[in-house]
Amino acid sequence: MATIRLEVVSPDRGSVLSKDIDMLIVRSTAGELGILPRHARLLTELLPYPIRIKEGASESLVAVGGGFMEVTPEQITILADSAELPEMIDVDRAQAARKRAEDRINAHKSSGKESLIDIHRAEAALARAKARLLVKNIPVN
Amino acid sequence: MANLQNIRRRIRSVKSIQKITNAMDMIARSRFNAARDTLLSNIPYVSKTREIIKRIMSQMNASEASSPFVMTRQELIDAQSRTDGKFLFLVIAADKGLAGAYSSNVIKEAHETIEYDGTSPSVSAADEDSENFHQKIFDALKNAGVDGEQLSAQKGFAKAGRRGSKTTANLSVAKEYNDADYIEGIELITVGRKATSHFKQRGYNIIKSYSGISERPSYHYAKEIADLIVERFLSGEIIDVTMIYTRFNSAISCTPDDVTLLPLITDDYAASDAVKEEYIYEPDVVSVLNDFLPRRIATRIYGAMLHGAASELSSRMNAMSNATDNAQELVGKLNLYYNKVRQAGITNEINEIVGGANALE
Repeated sequence: MATIRLEVVSPDRGSVLSKDIDMLIVRSTAGELGILPRHARLLTELLPYPIRIKEGASESLVAVGGGFMEVTPEQITILADSAELPEMIDVDRAQAARKRAEDRINAHKSSGKESLIDIHRAEAALARAKARLLVKNIPVN
Repeated sequence: MANLQNIRRRIRSVKSIQKITNAMDMIARSRFNAARDTLLSNIPYVSKTREIIKRIMSQMNASEASSPFVMTRQELIDAQSRTDGKFLFLVIAADKGLAGAYSSNVIKEAHETIEYDGTSPSVSAADEDSENFHQKIFDALKNAGVDGEQLSAQKGFAKAGRRGSKTTANLSVAKEYNDADYIEGIELITVGRKATSHFKQRGYNIIKSYSGISERPSYHYAKEIADLIVERFLSGEIIDVTMIYTRFNSAISCTPDDVTLLPLITDDYAASDAVKEEYIYEPDVVSVLNDFLPRRIATRIYGAMLHGAASELSSRMNAMSNATDNAQELVGKLNLYYNKVRQAGITNEINEIVGGANALE
């Protein structure tokens, strides 16, 4: 069966992942997308969420903290703002980040004292933390 | 005859300078290692971004280019024949000196690019990989502007040229020093105190300058610069934006490089042999490109800042280790001289004693 090359790069870790896979499932701003080999050319923005990589029967997850994805028939390139393989993730840190972000959002809801930009930032941080936890198979809701 | 005391003092001062240069060498070395690691882990991201841009642009159907950042050369000429555009340059250099020719090389390259007026032959020979489209844009505008209204940037060049020929002064000197006509068409953003003071002295219009970030760049500033560039570009007053920085090739080789950030001219990317396969944009082309292209600028600027930091530190490392070596050599020479003088003094004294003894007989 044909495979498709997946390249995940991030600004601070360089090339995070580079291998031939059977299928990729991502969450884009326009919804979930499944990419199979020989997909049409595509460019889209990704949400902070784990990407699912299928190789044969096995499936693995990579935490992606938002970014862009370009698909050509032979190759998928993900320009991730941050990207971590499961073994790179520090669960305690992700939990702490999640708690911090949630506290901030709750504080905003009750008092409204945080500025809107801070809330956007907190929401993005929360989404990233959740993506990391999901990759570690920790339920987040 | 040289005074022994003076030579001793000189040896001591050279030695203490050597200590300082040696310390600076070691500091630069450790910072360089960190800067190189950051740079190396950033390179794949930047090169992938470039690849994607190249692919998208070569597939881009010029007529559907509905992003303000993408246009064909003809569109650019049409737009500029109505307005009076300027050029924006971003120069990335060092905050501190003592880094060999690092800053002066970037600034030299910046002058060559900024002062390009279509007359001098292309300095950086057009290799396939070059992303310096400023000269192409300039030429295209110049050729198109012959019959129509001329741009303020080009009018300035023409005036500077006329004045230069009248007074038979060196044209480039006339342009470099405070030629208001020519400078009117230029806006600058500078990173690094060296670049800022250099261009300020020469009367350039610096719309924003950054200092204190050249050695350890952070993405935050790159984003800020990118936002400013996008804002200026969208105001319609800017024809093109070109960044001049130092590309880090290896610890002993850094070369100045130019990258045109905006606009993206589809003609420059159109590969004749490429098969046209249109992209699908999710959710739609305008929103994806309007998110992606500004992000690309920040990415490129951040990458360039990292290249600059690594280049600066490696230049400083080389300069300082050369200085330390030279100091070592100088100390050796001075020691030799010192001993010679001392020896001559002793010989003299013996001669005097022998002479005195002989006289007593």
